[in-house]
Amino acid sequence: MILFEVFLGGLLLGGMYGLIALGLNLQYGVARILNLSYGEFFMGGAFTAFFTIMLWKLNPLLSLFVSLPIAFVINWLIYQYLMIPLVRRAADQDALDADVVLVTFGLFFVFQGLALVNWSGDLRGYSFLSSPVHLVGATVAFNRLFAFLAACALAFALFLVLRYTRFGTALRAMTIDPVAASLVGIDVRKFSALAFAAGGALAAASGMLVSTFISFSSTIGVEYTLKALIVVILAGVGRVTGTLAAGLVLGVVESVGGYLVDPQLTIAINFGLFMLVLLLRPTGLFTRA
Amino acid sequence: MDRRTFVKGSAAVVGAATLPRTPAQAQAAPDKIRFGYAITQSGPLGPGADSTTVSNYKLWNKLVNDAGGIMLKKFGKKVPIEMVAYDDQGKPDELLKLTERLIQQDKVDMVLSPYATHMNLAQAPIINKYEYPVIMTTATTNKTYELGPRWPYAFWNIAQPREASQPLSKAIADLKKQGKIKGRVAAIYPSVEYGVENNEAFLEAAKKDGLEVVFNKSYAFGASDLQPLIREVMATNPDAFLAFSYPPDTFMLTEQAQILGFNPQFMYVAIGGVFPQYKDKFGNKVNGILVYGPSDPKAPGMDEYAKAHRDLFKQEYEPGGVNVYAALQLTQQAIETVGEIDRKKIRDVIANTTFKTLWGEIKYVKQLNANPWAVGQWQNGELTVIYPADKAGAKPLLFPKPAWS
Repeated sequence: MILFEVFLGGLLLGGMYGLIALGLNLQYGVARILNLSYGEFFMGGAFTAFFTIMLWKLNPLLSLFVSLPIAFVINWLIYQYLMIPLVRRAADQDALDADVVLVTFGLFFVFQGLALVNWSGDLRGYSFLSSPVHLVGATVAFNRLFAFLAACALAFALFLVLRYTRFGTALRAMTIDPVAASLVGIDVRKFSALAFAAGGALAAASGMLVSTFISFSSTIGVEYTLKALIVVILAGVGRVTGTLAAGLVLGVVESVGGYLVDPQLTIAINFGLFMLVLLLRPTGLFTRA
Repeated sequence: MDRRTFVKGSAAVVGAATLPRTPAQAQAAPDKIRFGYAITQSGPLGPGADSTTVSNYKLWNKLVNDAGGIMLKKFGKKVPIEMVAYDDQGKPDELLKLTERLIQQDKVDMVLSPYATHMNLAQAPIINKYEYPVIMTTATTNKTYELGPRWPYAFWNIAQPREASQPLSKAIADLKKQGKIKGRVAAIYPSVEYGVENNEAFLEAAKKDGLEVVFNKSYAFGASDLQPLIREVMATNPDAFLAFSYPPDTFMLTEQAQILGFNPQFMYVAIGGVFPQYKDKFGNKVNGILVYGPSDPKAPGMDEYAKAHRDLFKQEYEPGGVNVYAALQLTQQAIETVGEIDRKKIRDVIANTTFKTLWGEIKYVKQLNANPWAVGQWQNGELTVIYPADKAGAKPLLFPKPAWS
């Protein structure tokens, strides 16, 4: 019975991993920008939620009405004014990656610095939906379950958009081949900006959801950028639904492995799986070979 | 001697020659006492350093100068203080370079402690080499027991692993003797030095006290889910539960214990348990939880301190940082006792005096604080100090911990 609960806990944890990686995969997979300041929007979403409940005594979900538009706009501006010049001058994707990593790394410092100055470095946390839910004899935290369901809903919605809308088709075309996409009349720059901005908004949303059960501070961003990056590489760059699946695999392996072997090894198991995938399937688990 | 001090020095000599002066005034008083510190301001440890340590340096700097400075008897006047600060970026080698720089180039009068155990340890030999007395305020490790006596200029202010863990073991043993508890203990810890050492120190004490440790496991630092581990703990049905935890896990395991309805009668969490944010998050559910490294909010002078802190930083003080302020207070007392900047004499005064500070009485034995506040407890929504039980201000233990409501 405990094993079932551990498995369930792993699923929920995996949902969180998938959730935080969804936005990064949009940014990296579609807009082709490896954004190292991604986690800062996660952090921003978490702080907005924190202030909403602790300062203004409102439901933290309402913070999404603030953090999503702000993250969307800032990311759109970043793409338009910082990334486009880099995209223009880059000879190829490798050169672009190198430039982008440097610039977004700088952005990460700027955003983290601003957060430190304004919000200090204190550890924050609040209680929201922190009640037990009993599922087939196992107990899970409502806030973790909620974040998991939200992750599934978001991934499904994203899947529908990508599969069944013209916009989504354009995005998929860009993922496969940006040059060919522009040749068939897709406004690559505009759509990339939108995908990048949407990725940033997703980061803020995941920050809000995860902050209901994990304590955080101004410096938490980079940790979640790394976590998201691992999931994106595991899933395969540009595989949006695969992102959730990869997150789930990671969560379950970590939890069950940690329980069966040793709780000290959870993070080692995590990276072990990551290395295994890099060695055996470098393009990711959920890509068509 | 640079030109400015030379000019001032000659002016004083001329002044002394022309005007009748008392001998004490004949020698020019320094126009400033300069304190230097290199501390982590960027990187992952920056925020902690800021709220625990740097904020207290700034507050003390302001309050001392508002009062006119530090009294130097030898010159019969108060001398204002000045801070020279560098960012060590969390790198020990950087800290060493900057400490040398503070001493040799900036020629500061005194050096103040850096932040975090490994940085405190890294700095100790170098300040010892230059004979600068420093009170290390954020180091807790078994190494201080052997290395402490080797560096006579380094003093260690907070509860070390044995001092932090023994009172817990003793408390459980006492409860067992009184028949209130069976003495079945479960202890968990993150696999970092702090967790490992405190756990070891506790196991040692528990063995001596005849406790039954029914569960003892470590977990990965940075784990995202401690529920499976808490389930395992629950399966062993302990009546005392201890976690030698770091702040993020302290928060997480407190929440997950509530979700699982795990209600030990005796519960201890280590670092982070004293944070005001801990209370903000859990409200009155914190009542009865024991925590590491508290300070006494009822101690004389604390109201003024809390207000001054609030006025300067617009936020509440960190209870875990009060020992830093106390170290500054006693440094000032030592300087005033000596009456001049004579670091050898200052060191000897620090080593041999019992100081009254915001953090209670401080007396060093072999440079280790003999009786630091080790364990606190949340009672009625307020942090109180519990152990050492014989220290002035200690409150009786609240037992059993109320069940999560």
